[in-house]
Amino acid sequence: MGILDYFKPVSTWSPEEVRLFLKEKNPEEYNLVDVRTPKEYERGHLPGARLILVGEVADRLLELDPDKPTIVY
Amino acid sequence: MEGGITAWEGLVAEGAPQSGMAYFSPVTKPEELIALAWLLEDGSRKFYSELASTLTDNEAKDLYRQLAKAEEHHMASLLELYEEFSGKVPDPGFPGSVIPPGKEGDVMEGGMRVGEALQWAKGKRTTEILELSLSLETNSYDLYLKMERQMKNQRSAQVFHVLSGEEKQHLERLSSLLEKRI
Repeated sequence: MGILDYFKPVSTWSPEEVRLFLKEKNPEEYNLVDVRTPKEYERGHLPGARLILVGEVADRLLELDPDKPTIVY
Repeated sequence: MEGGITAWEGLVAEGAPQSGMAYFSPVTKPEELIALAWLLEDGSRKFYSELASTLTDNEAKDLYRQLAKAEEHHMASLLELYEEFSGKVPDPGFPGSVIPPGKEGDVMEGGMRVGEALQWAKGKRTTEILELSLSLETNSYDLYLKMERQMKNQRSAQVFHVLSGEEKQHLERLSSLLEKRI
C-alpha cells in the first residue's frame, strides 16, 4: 500500500454544471461560497457568492445552511 | 467548481499539478495516520525549501523558508506522537516500515507529487505559486481536522488540534502575501 492509496479524487462540478444549476435554482436554495482573497472577490465573483476566506470556513460553518447544497470556488 | 473563477470566465487555467484529491481512509491505525502525516509534511518541506532557494521575490522566499521550518517542527511533533503510540523509538526505516514507499516519489497534501509541482513552478508568477501553496495548506488543514476527530485519546487529538491551528496560520500568511501581490 503506497501513500496515494490514502487519497481519493474529490468530485467537482464543471463551470457549465454550476451555470445550469444556478440558472435553474433560486438563490435561497443553495449556499454559494467564494474562498479566495477579498481583492480577488472585488475583482469579480459569481453572482450572489458569499466571501468566506479559506482559513475561516471551519469557524463560519454556521453561516451556511446544512440542508442546502454548497458550491465552493 | 473545477477550474475556479478562471474557468467560469471562459479562460483556461494553466495546468497546475493535480491537487484534486483528499485524504480518505476511515479505517486506519493511529501509527499509520501519524506516518502518513509525517510523509506529507516531509513532501511539503521539500517543496517549500526548494521554492525558498529558487524564487526571486524576497518576501515570498522568507515566507517559504519559515514554512519549511514549520513543517520540520510538525515532523518532530509527529515523531514524538508515533513514539508514544508504538511505545518504541521509530526504527531507522521509519516511515517506510509503516507505509511502504510507492513509485510516486515524494508526495504532498492533496496527493500532489513534489517533483511535478516544482517542475510546474518554474517560471511561474509568485501569485500562481502562492495559489498552489494555498491549495496545499487547505488540504493539510483539512487532513489534521479529520485526524483530530479520528483520534480516540485526548493527547493525540490535542497534537492534531495544534497542527491544524498552525496550518490555518500558514493559510492566513499565504493569503495575506497573495493579497499584497495581486
